[in-house]
Amino acid sequence: MQIRVALFAHLSRFQPDGEAGREPRVFELPEGTTVGAVIESLGLPDEPRVLFVNGRHAEEGTVLSEGDRLAIFPPVAGG
Amino acid sequence: MKRDLLRVNMSDLSITREPLPEGWHRYGGRALTDAIVFSEVPPDADPLGPDNVLVFSPGLLGGTSAPNGGRISVGAKSPLTGGIKESNSGGQAAHALARIGIGAVIVSGKPADPLARYCLVIEADGSASLQRVDEWAGLGNYELADEIAATRPEGDRYATIQTGPAGEAGAKAAGIAISDPKGYPNRFAGRGGLGSVMGSKGLKAIVISDKGLPYTEHADKDAFQAALKRFASALKEHAVTGQALPTYGTNVLTNILSEAGGLPTRNFSEGSFEKADDVGGERQRETILARGGHEHHGCHTGCTIQCSRYWMDKDGHYKTKGPEYETVWSFGADCGIGDLDEIADLDRACGNLGLDTIEMGATMAVYMDSGKLAFGDAKGALAALLSGAEGGEPGRVLWDGALATGKAFGVAHIPVVKSQALPAYDPRPVMGIGVTYATSPQGADHTAGYTITANILSVGGNVDPLKPEGQAELSKNLQIATAMLDSVGLCIFVAFAVLDIPDAFTAIHDMVEAHTGDPWDPDALMQLGKETLVFERLFNEKAGFTSADDRLPGFFKTVPLPPHNIVFQVTDEDLDSVFDFVPETAAQMGVS
Repeated sequence: MQIRVALFAHLSRFQPDGEAGREPRVFELPEGTTVGAVIESLGLPDEPRVLFVNGRHAEEGTVLSEGDRLAIFPPVAGG
Repeated sequence: MKRDLLRVNMSDLSITREPLPEGWHRYGGRALTDAIVFSEVPPDADPLGPDNVLVFSPGLLGGTSAPNGGRISVGAKSPLTGGIKESNSGGQAAHALARIGIGAVIVSGKPADPLARYCLVIEADGSASLQRVDEWAGLGNYELADEIAATRPEGDRYATIQTGPAGEAGAKAAGIAISDPKGYPNRFAGRGGLGSVMGSKGLKAIVISDKGLPYTEHADKDAFQAALKRFASALKEHAVTGQALPTYGTNVLTNILSEAGGLPTRNFSEGSFEKADDVGGERQRETILARGGHEHHGCHTGCTIQCSRYWMDKDGHYKTKGPEYETVWSFGADCGIGDLDEIADLDRACGNLGLDTIEMGATMAVYMDSGKLAFGDAKGALAALLSGAEGGEPGRVLWDGALATGKAFGVAHIPVVKSQALPAYDPRPVMGIGVTYATSPQGADHTAGYTITANILSVGGNVDPLKPEGQAELSKNLQIATAMLDSVGLCIFVAFAVLDIPDAFTAIHDMVEAHTGDPWDPDALMQLGKETLVFERLFNEKAGFTSADDRLPGFFKTVPLPPHNIVFQVTDEDLDSVFDFVPETAAQMGVS
């Protein structure tokens, strides 16, 4: 299946192509892949993060489906 | 610590200094401006008439070295909402006032001559005078700052508080500018039209010199320093206050709100903006660095979070601060404008005219929704904004805010509560903030109870933003805690650390106790927040507000917002539960 992955703030440099930038990259993954497995394959630092799948909060155990958009943020805030 | 009230009467031009009344010695900042407005302003007063007062108050920790302790509260009856207003700002003024020993400046009355302009000068020795400055009439905030600088002795250290042409014109969206550490008048007590209260009193500027003055004295210096150290470590340790905010500034929020479908776009008709990343905090940082701009500094001395930054134009010259997230949203996504330079032009124009960027961006989006101007037309927006300077149209209507503009141009969806425009989070997919918008005595104000923490950012727990459950309780607790922080004088961004690191709250308590010398306990701190809100709710009640005013505009409950296609679902009963503590707390205070 294909999903899109967007990484934000200082995480964007962990995209597999090594280029920063927040635009999503297309990932080809086996059915049943979890958010946690994507995080592990990207080698993201072990720190708190905020996860969205299709604009809804997700967990590392969330199972991804064809066409999903996964967005990962480090802890951020402002106002 | 000694704190006096400085009374400035603009009717007879008298200035007197008196001790803070005994009953108010635990009040500072927002609690003190509220107590004064509640006690001294008739609820039916004309906000631009002689019976309104304009109050400036540093928080309890003002003038100290407490990290992020230099916030100032500005209070009055609001010309925009018709209710009580506390507008909070950074900048240098709070520390300067506190170091002179002033707990609040209370400006009352009104000069007989509407063309008269005055500058209140408070020197470091505590002497104060009103100087006639008619020649400063109509000056923009940046020119005014230069004029003030020319009057000061070399080597002086001073802060300014200013109103621009919008405030002099009585505009309901006029804010009050406060100078930052470099002297730029770019920090704002923006909301609620307080710039026009200042203008109505003929008070063009206040200058406060604290040259040579030390930090305010602590009752127990060693205990204060020990608590300060713990507080500073918590701010450093937390990923938001230690990393994200200093690195990217407040605008780091644009991408995450757009991702969550909660970034109001084109006058609250969509929840994601296709150009979010073009104007977000990451792009802002890249551009600032490429232009040699100033990123990563505090808006006041003693700030350790350092989320402020300067935007430079393409030639590398200072243009404006930030722009902050709220401004990037209001003139960006909400107006369909996807270019940071265009947004910075609008921010600079508002800063110089002395207009609240939240109200004005939301207003411009309402104006665009009327069909008079296309969404995305930044040049047209700038021209419309500037047209008010000569009293022209449509500017002079726009300067009165989103409600006035929506009515004048026949717009169906006007996003206001208590006549004040909603800020940068749509209450349909972020229901907690809808509770705050609806119920805050301030009108729609995100800072009054910032539920984005648990709703979106996973700070201080998680409350699903797409469901109505738990939102009223979340908003209530945050509104009480925020009123406390605003009274202590701390920047509310410390809350991001406080919500996750329990010792940070204890450290605030310990700093307040060691500084004031009064016994406090954590419950007393929360009681301070409750008492502050009691003053606000009771004033508004007397001014005619009812539970019908604690509601969002109807379209948020009937028109679904893409991409989640959801409406606001918190019940009226839940909304009415937020201030259920008011009767009991009011009885304890002996006020009604």
